[in-house]
Amino acid sequence: MQRMFMRRVGLALLLMLAATALTFWLVTAAPGNVAALIAERAAGAGADGEMIAKIADDLGLNDPLPVRYARWLGDALTGDFGVSLRTGKPMAEEFAERIPMTLALLAGGGVLALVLSLAMGIAGAASNGGIVDRVLHGLALVGASTPNFFVAAMLVIVFSVWLGMVPTFGVAGLTSWLLPWITIALFPASVLARVVRVNLQDTMSRPFATTGFAKGLTRSAVLLREALPNIAIPYMTTFGAQFTLMIIGAIVVERVFGLNGVGAFFIEAIRFRDFIGMQAILTLFVVFFVSINLLVDVLAMLADPRLRRPRKA
Amino acid sequence: MSRHSQNGPIYEVEGLVIDLYTPTVSVRAVDGAGFYVAPGETLAIVGESGSGKTVMTLGPLGLLPEGVAVDLRGTARADGKDILSMSPTDLSRLRGGFFGVIFQDPMSALNPMLKIGPQLAEQARRFAGLSATEARKEAVSLLARSGIPDPEDRYDRYPHELSGGMLQRAMIALALAARPRVLIADEPTTALDATVQAQILALIRQIQKEDGIAVILITHDIGAVSVLADRVAVLYAGQVAEEGSAIDVLTAPVHPYTRGLLASVPDFRSDNATGTKEIPGIPPNQAQLEPGCRFADRCELVQPQCRTHRPPLVKVGAGSVPHRVACPVVIAAEGIVTHD
Repeated sequence: MQRMFMRRVGLALLLMLAATALTFWLVTAAPGNVAALIAERAAGAGADGEMIAKIADDLGLNDPLPVRYARWLGDALTGDFGVSLRTGKPMAEEFAERIPMTLALLAGGGVLALVLSLAMGIAGAASNGGIVDRVLHGLALVGASTPNFFVAAMLVIVFSVWLGMVPTFGVAGLTSWLLPWITIALFPASVLARVVRVNLQDTMSRPFATTGFAKGLTRSAVLLREALPNIAIPYMTTFGAQFTLMIIGAIVVERVFGLNGVGAFFIEAIRFRDFIGMQAILTLFVVFFVSINLLVDVLAMLADPRLRRPRKA
Repeated sequence: MSRHSQNGPIYEVEGLVIDLYTPTVSVRAVDGAGFYVAPGETLAIVGESGSGKTVMTLGPLGLLPEGVAVDLRGTARADGKDILSMSPTDLSRLRGGFFGVIFQDPMSALNPMLKIGPQLAEQARRFAGLSATEARKEAVSLLARSGIPDPEDRYDRYPHELSGGMLQRAMIALALAARPRVLIADEPTTALDATVQAQILALIRQIQKEDGIAVILITHDIGAVSVLADRVAVLYAGQVAEEGSAIDVLTAPVHPYTRGLLASVPDFRSDNATGTKEIPGIPPNQAQLEPGCRFADRCELVQPQCRTHRPPLVKVGAGSVPHRVACPVVIAAEGIVTHD
């Protein structure tokens, strides 16, 4: 167990290294010249070739790629992600301002997806082919096949424009978070509700579920106490995958609802060819993906008694 | 309590018809069969795979796997109460407290996510009315009684931490935890090693003797029947072919199927050179049943009327335990005296 855990952590670190190296190479390979951009910012139209060359030299842009990556990595490990070419502020400062916003979006969306998917999946399994089950199946299908920008637009039209219940833009108080949370949670909630429903149905036809009935439990007790713990592992694995995908959704949702998070910053960085900013945000995404997956792996290991307490030979 | 108790039946099923549906086929798994068992008595229900023995015994209790649609008619009474008209909640309580069930494969019948001991304690608490501390003690002593060494340690174990034989002992302890009055053992030794099988059968017999409860043993193992059973019901294609005391059925079988079944069992003590004899043919397709005797196509003694008329169960002999046979052909041919 402990060795397995250490292996996972080592693997995760290696993965982060490889992914940041790859994004570093991709970002530098993209069209555009960092030195020219900086010169333009500093001197406007007056930037000439000599100035650009000097800046490139100062920043070490003429060094070979591995050297530049090593230097970037060294800085990044000390928390220095460079200065944004667009805003002129250190990326560490931008992170400090924007990460809480994105985390609030992801955390709220994640909790909503968790609650919705469990409620829908369990209610569907309890109804077992009845009207509730069929309606929820239909809803999940719609939720999993509607793009989030469309969902966001519809929600804004209905709740902000028609009903005037929440602001269309920006965050002010808890109610203004509702639409972004619903938008970002709809897809993962729909997918996860199906995972809960299908796995519960499968588990209810296993012999130990029959034993549950033989113990005198009612169907809902068998469902909640015997079947539900058995779907923990597939559920957690899918939840982890869906949760990491939510950061992609965050890019769209932050932009639509005017939230000043890292997703919105990423779009601007791409538009402005802010290579420093792009690399910093991509690094953040890599760390997020890898650590969430690591966390899910470890939690799944802890949830399964067969992995937590392997049989002694 | 005498082995042949004169008490009335405690679990009794009559004229049971069970159809099982999947989206594509419907199968008549049980076709007008019945049985009864009295306190202190062991009834063995014998038949080959697919004969309907499990469906007949567990079906009225609602203990068939979920996902199969079931249509069930007939009567079933537990302690005189009609089971089939009970509310789901009452039936749940009956399943948990009145009946204890030991399933075939303990590896898949015990929930991998739940510890063994607490499940026993919960049964003792809910159905035997014990306090939490009493229930824990009871669970440990049930594990010990079921022959599990170091029961205090095993209490907190998960199923994967125990061997197959130990798991079946835990399953037996779980079935007993609610202090049931009828213990149903559905092929309790089929999934186990040969050496463990005898131990499990001995354990069931010991419990039956000590507690004086009714035991229903569902099996195709004639050896297990001869060890445990007071009475035997032989099931063929969803119908009872023959029933009676274990001695009558095993030593003086009448129905051609029972005779065939017993002749197909290897007897390692005899030096009979002819060895075992198999029954030719296969059981009928229960999705498309013909009228008449289910065994007709495989029977050496088949007569024209066998294919048109369903043979009734007729009482033969004068023993205190009724011996009933559904074969008028043998009864007539051998001049067996009937008592109906």
